[in-house]
Amino acid sequence: MARRKFATLKSFLNYIGVEGDRTLFTWVSASEGDRWAQVIKVATEKIKALGPAKKMIKKIG
Amino acid sequence: MENIETKLREEAKRLLLEKKADVIIGYEKGTLPLTATPCFITTPEEADKLVWNNLCTQNLAKFVHDLITAHKNSQKRVKPEDRKKKVVGIVARGCTTRSLIIHLQERQYERDEVCIIGVPCDGYVDGKGLKVKIGGADIVEGTIDGGQIKMKTSDGDKTVALKDVLAECCLTCRFNNPIVSDVLIGSPSPAMNPDAEYNAVKEFEAKSMEERWAYFTKEMEKCMRCNACRQTCPSCYCPTCFVEQSQPQWVGIGEDKSDTQVFQLMRMYHMVGRCVDCGSCVSVCPMGVDLRKFLKKIDKDGWEMFGNRAGSSMEDMPPLGRYDEHHDKEEFIFNP
Repeated sequence: MARRKFATLKSFLNYIGVEGDRTLFTWVSASEGDRWAQVIKVATEKIKALGPAKKMIKKIG
Repeated sequence: MENIETKLREEAKRLLLEKKADVIIGYEKGTLPLTATPCFITTPEEADKLVWNNLCTQNLAKFVHDLITAHKNSQKRVKPEDRKKKVVGIVARGCTTRSLIIHLQERQYERDEVCIIGVPCDGYVDGKGLKVKIGGADIVEGTIDGGQIKMKTSDGDKTVALKDVLAECCLTCRFNNPIVSDVLIGSPSPAMNPDAEYNAVKEFEAKSMEERWAYFTKEMEKCMRCNACRQTCPSCYCPTCFVEQSQPQWVGIGEDKSDTQVFQLMRMYHMVGRCVDCGSCVSVCPMGVDLRKFLKKIDKDGWEMFGNRAGSSMEDMPPLGRYDEHHDKEEFIFNP
């Protein structure tokens, strides 16, 4: 079940010290255009507030 | 212990003679002092090799899966009506039976393909911990007797109490007696100290995020990607592991820190509802990575979120395969 996977993943990421707030999970129906816009808007704001990820980053080149 | 060993050999002999099992997986005396190593018994005469003591470390369920899979593959080219079933006997303690239950839940083989010889367990010796305890001296000879380990070492004679060198996972074990078995040997062992099982996890959770990340990176820097943890883990049985897949390549094969972290994160995360805390990964790790600190959290989440302890009952469904509408928490869902 996706929801159980996300619940444990979020909790586990938090536990090892990666910001679990970067893991966002929700349901949006294809008919819910307004809600979709709202979800993306708030999600973008949240991620911007957290700043760029610094953990588990691989530098290539 | 001697008594259990004798009964175990008798049972193994009987099962092989009566053709109730084609092979019995157990432990024999290791080549180094104070070790036991997995062995495969196919004839009744060999059954006297079997041992059962506090040195039997590895979770043997891994070999059951390996043998049955190899046998099934070898039968693919045989006409369906001529196919033979192979019954694998296994000497199983509590955690081994939990792994077997996970295999059965995940439909890896049928219940009648495995014959479980249940043995009570009172913990196994953590080899690395023992080495530290005796100051790194080489063990020349050793015996376990009445809760004491007596050793002749390169640094003179030494005696260590058994309970001081038991593996971490055994000290707080909840399931030290077999959960399912066809033949049960000996009387059940007294319980360990399961109430303390999440203490280390709770302590770690209370630290700040940066402290936790620092510990995780420090531990993962030790890892040299030998994959021993994966090889020994009974729950790691994918025919192709994500580590070796190249299309798509999930994780780089190089020495980059992030690759190691991602490998460990993903391997551990695949253990949700499947890690039985047998401690095999910890005991085989040549670099002494503290894997249990992280795996135990996964066990704790499984219990606290879904009320599931991996492989603790034959009737259970894997926690990630079902959903409980009334009890699952929803606070992780993003609802702007």
